[in-house]
Amino acid sequence: MNPRSILLASHGSDGARAAEAAALDLLGEGGKLFHLVVVPDFWKGMTGDDWLNNAVTRARFGKYVEDQLAREVGLEVARLADAAEQRKIAYENSVRLGKPAECLAEAERSGAYDLVVIGAPRPKGAPGLRSRMTPETLVRALKTPLLVVPHPG
Amino acid sequence: MVYTKKNPALLIMGVIFVAIAILAGSGAADGVIGFLKIKKYVGEMVGMGYAFGAIGVLVGAWHWWGKHEEGNLDYYLSSIAGGIFILLIAMVVRWFGAPLVAVASKGLGTVMADKYLHDVLGLNYVVLGILAGIITVNVFGIPKWAENGVRLSRLGLKTGVILLGTLYSLAELAALGKLSVVMVGFFVLGAVGLVLWLGRRRKIPNSMGGVLSAGMGVCGVSATVAAAPVVQAKSVEIAYTIGTILIWGVGCMFLFPVIGHILDLGYIQFGAWAGTGILNSAQVAGAALAYQPDGIETLKVAEIFNITRVLFLPIIVLWLAVWYVRLEETTAGPQVNVGTVIFEKFPVFVLGFILMFALSSTGVFAPAQHYKGKYFDNDIAAGKLLKDEQAATLSAEAGKLQRADRKEALASLIQNRKVMTIDDETVIRGIFNANVLSKDANKILKTATKVVRHTAKKISKFRQWITLLFAFGLTGLGMQITLAAMKQAGGQPLVIGGIVGTTKAVLSLIVILLFVSETI
Repeated sequence: MNPRSILLASHGSDGARAAEAAALDLLGEGGKLFHLVVVPDFWKGMTGDDWLNNAVTRARFGKYVEDQLAREVGLEVARLADAAEQRKIAYENSVRLGKPAECLAEAERSGAYDLVVIGAPRPKGAPGLRSRMTPETLVRALKTPLLVVPHPG
Repeated sequence: MVYTKKNPALLIMGVIFVAIAILAGSGAADGVIGFLKIKKYVGEMVGMGYAFGAIGVLVGAWHWWGKHEEGNLDYYLSSIAGGIFILLIAMVVRWFGAPLVAVASKGLGTVMADKYLHDVLGLNYVVLGILAGIITVNVFGIPKWAENGVRLSRLGLKTGVILLGTLYSLAELAALGKLSVVMVGFFVLGAVGLVLWLGRRRKIPNSMGGVLSAGMGVCGVSATVAAAPVVQAKSVEIAYTIGTILIWGVGCMFLFPVIGHILDLGYIQFGAWAGTGILNSAQVAGAALAYQPDGIETLKVAEIFNITRVLFLPIIVLWLAVWYVRLEETTAGPQVNVGTVIFEKFPVFVLGFILMFALSSTGVFAPAQHYKGKYFDNDIAAGKLLKDEQAATLSAEAGKLQRADRKEALASLIQNRKVMTIDDETVIRGIFNANVLSKDANKILKTATKVVRHTAKKISKFRQWITLLFAFGLTGLGMQITLAAMKQAGGQPLVIGGIVGTTKAVLSLIVILLFVSETI
């Protein structure tokens, strides 16, 4: 297999980094990497049952979380962009808010790719956010071949 | 942006409210009302049914057929749909859901001493309302047309707390206030300190320790929301902490009433325990109303603890800000201005509570000397005076009393045929509580004290409104608790949170059992 254009879903976890490495290796010089970062939609309900705070405090929290997520995404994007540049791979990225599998399927529909690459779910008990790809949703929706890279752990 | 959604939902909900009012008021639903034993709610069904039904129909017609333009009218009226949505769910649960559960539970027979399963599990309209809210958001999701109004639940809860201020007497508030400051002070500061200490031992980042300590120590998610920017928590740390707190809070709301019933705690004991041991302030109110669904004595105690906790919030935020800056040795962190923190974090609705309490103390709602909404007045009808044979029964047993104050109070009662002063009333209550006299004599004394105590009508109305506002607010709050957020519980915060939360709950229960009595 010699893909020239890859859609990669990665948010910087161990499994996602294994997927990044595999995608970069597969593309080689002159390839095109499209990096999708999904911000899980559970963040929309993250003020939970708070009712004691006033609107100022809640707005400040919302702004802080948005900025923090943007900072964290920015670091991931910069790291992968560097790695791609070193290998002379064209790099683009996009950030979406939603459910990981649905966002990846939408991203795939909106572009032309030879391969979609994701990392395998982390082993049980390993730390990380509970927001996983739902394989069935993904496999049913994708029209492009999918590569799931094994977790390094 | 136009907030109003063109949708018939509000109109339909309005029609449902009106239909309930007509069916309940006309007697057409008597069969159902009898089966569910909900006659006491008929007045509510008719009154609220017509009132909110009319609002729903009128505003709903505008939502569906009206022309909507950007502006204040659109913004405020758009929220009615969400508000009526919460109210309909809360009232359907209160009027039909909870009574149905009670009928089914009674059909199973008693499960613990003389208690039914729904009593032991606290499955009343409040807990079932929160559950209905949680199920709604997680199974169906909040409809777009209701999104803007669901936030009204916070307003409902804050208004409920403000009105609660009318129900306290000065002596009661002073006693509960002292108890809550001691308990909350010790356990809040202790829990914050313990989390920070455990965090260092388990080598978690300072930002994570900071945000978790606020959540575990003060008032759950609210404290996390207030503290996260101050300690510059990472996104994963916020998610872990809020997940841990939500899962712990919901679990406690169900577990605390069961334990309370097993230990047969009094209302003050349970209110104090829930107010100290449960992390989330909404769940504290939920557990208190679950423990005592037909009265609000437990809620009154628990809310004083909630208010005390939230007053500690600015202090904890300041503490964490100073602690974080010192440990991280950074100047890149947020600039801490003591005045700004106190001003922004101070819960304004507490001022409303204090204002209502002050108004109540002036005698606007009930005579100033009222206690739990009841006041002393011995200007009673002749028919309520002690009868000759009752006076004779008491005279015959007067010799059993040893204490001079009791002898005097009883003599005064026999002579005047009624209780003459509040002090006498207190002493006579002491006599029948001590069970020194015969059963018949005690019954006479109880009646004599009862006829000089009157319920203030306005206070009685406030009690009803408070119950409804909390039912509304907590159902709406349930709609904001997502399983996706709860699922984020994990990692070190779950371990540390579990240790500290359990320690706080168990230790506070021990302290309450040892030192808190049933009288305030």
